Amino acid sequence: MQTEILNLKTEREDDVLSARVGGRIDGSNAARFEEMLRSAIEESDRAVIMDFEQLLYISSAGLRAVLVTAKSLWKQGTTFALCSLSDQLRGAFASSGFDRVVRIHGSRREALDSLDE
Amino acid sequence: MEISTETRNGALIAKAEGRIDGANARDFESAVQTAVRDCEGAVIIDCENLSYISSAGLRAILLIAKTLGKRQVKFALCSLSEPIAEIFQISGFDQIISTHSSRDEALAAVDG
Amino acid sequence: MSVSDDTGNDHLLHFAVLNDLREIAVAADRIDEFCSVQGIPPATAYAVNLSVDELLTNTISYGYEDSEEHRIDLMIRRDGDVLTIEISDDGIEFAPDSAKDPDTAASIEDRPIGGLGIFLTRQMMDSFDYRRDEGRNIVTLTKKTGTASPENQ
Repeated sequence: MQTEILNLKTEREDDVLSARVGGRIDGSNAARFEEMLRSAIEESDRAVIMDFEQLLYISSAGLRAVLVTAKSLWKQGTTFALCSLSDQLRGAFASSGFDRVVRIHGSRREALDSLDE
Repeated sequence: MEISTETRNGALIAKAEGRIDGANARDFESAVQTAVRDCEGAVIIDCENLSYISSAGLRAILLIAKTLGKRQVKFALCSLSEPIAEIFQISGFDQIISTHSSRDEALAAVDG
Repeated sequence: MSVSDDTGNDHLLHFAVLNDLREIAVAADRIDEFCSVQGIPPATAYAVNLSVDELLTNTISYGYEDSEEHRIDLMIRRDGDVLTIEISDDGIEFAPDSAKDPDTAASIEDRPIGGLGIFLTRQMMDSFDYRRDEGRNIVTLTKKTGTASPENQ
């Protein structure tokens, strides 16, 4: 389902939280996005995988929210990974240097497999 | 008006923020209808940050409730501000749509 | 108590909007600002906003047979603890009394869609008066401000 509105779908299996993000994230809702993630993530989570397959658009405000989340997860010792980024998004992550601080995988499967390594 | 949705344990929570009036009630309705189209679990509209709603917004909520009712999907609202709760009461909507004081209460009510 | 004549204008807000539904949010901003300056409690401000919204929505949606631009005049005045709101437009005559009150006890399946706007306005306001004057609809509403008026402090 493709929709413009920001949507977050979370599922938890064996303390791994899959967070599927869809719609648009920009300056008008980045703070809410951050808050949604904060309330979905639990301290006991071993890993958080953020899946951007349904993401239509993300602005720098949205990237900042991802980075803030990544930092707080790092502090609590939870693994964080991103997956299923579009080509443009990969470009944006590369040019901002985010790809050096956040692990990026091609698919959710790949991201999940990497946790067992 | 801004909407965002979260799906947790199969329940879809749509957070509506700002104003819903005659100018955007249709947009609100179609955004929620699209978001709930594939939802089989319960649907909750979280009104915590909803500052204002007019009868056009009530009408949109009624249409959503009717659609979900036909599909036998549970539907509830939560965290209504005092003036909005009053409008629900005056219009009798509180009798036909279940409202809860918090998101957790609404989730507990639709669970099971 | 000494009140000079020019302070009278502080209690009056007069403005116009166009027949575009997006103007409702503009009107709401002006009403909120007026209410906040006048120390009118939020619940009263909400009721005023809702009533003005419902009337504007009706007029803008159903009041014009052409697609021309029209001006709708709004006036809000505070006299002591009473607010008077007047909305005047050049749309077609409407009969607010003909609108049947919705059956607020109907079940979800039977509940009709719509017909709530004027009902809510009547419920939220203390008085509702309609007149047709020289080709214009004029609706006058009054509402007690409730507590927390600056003059009572």
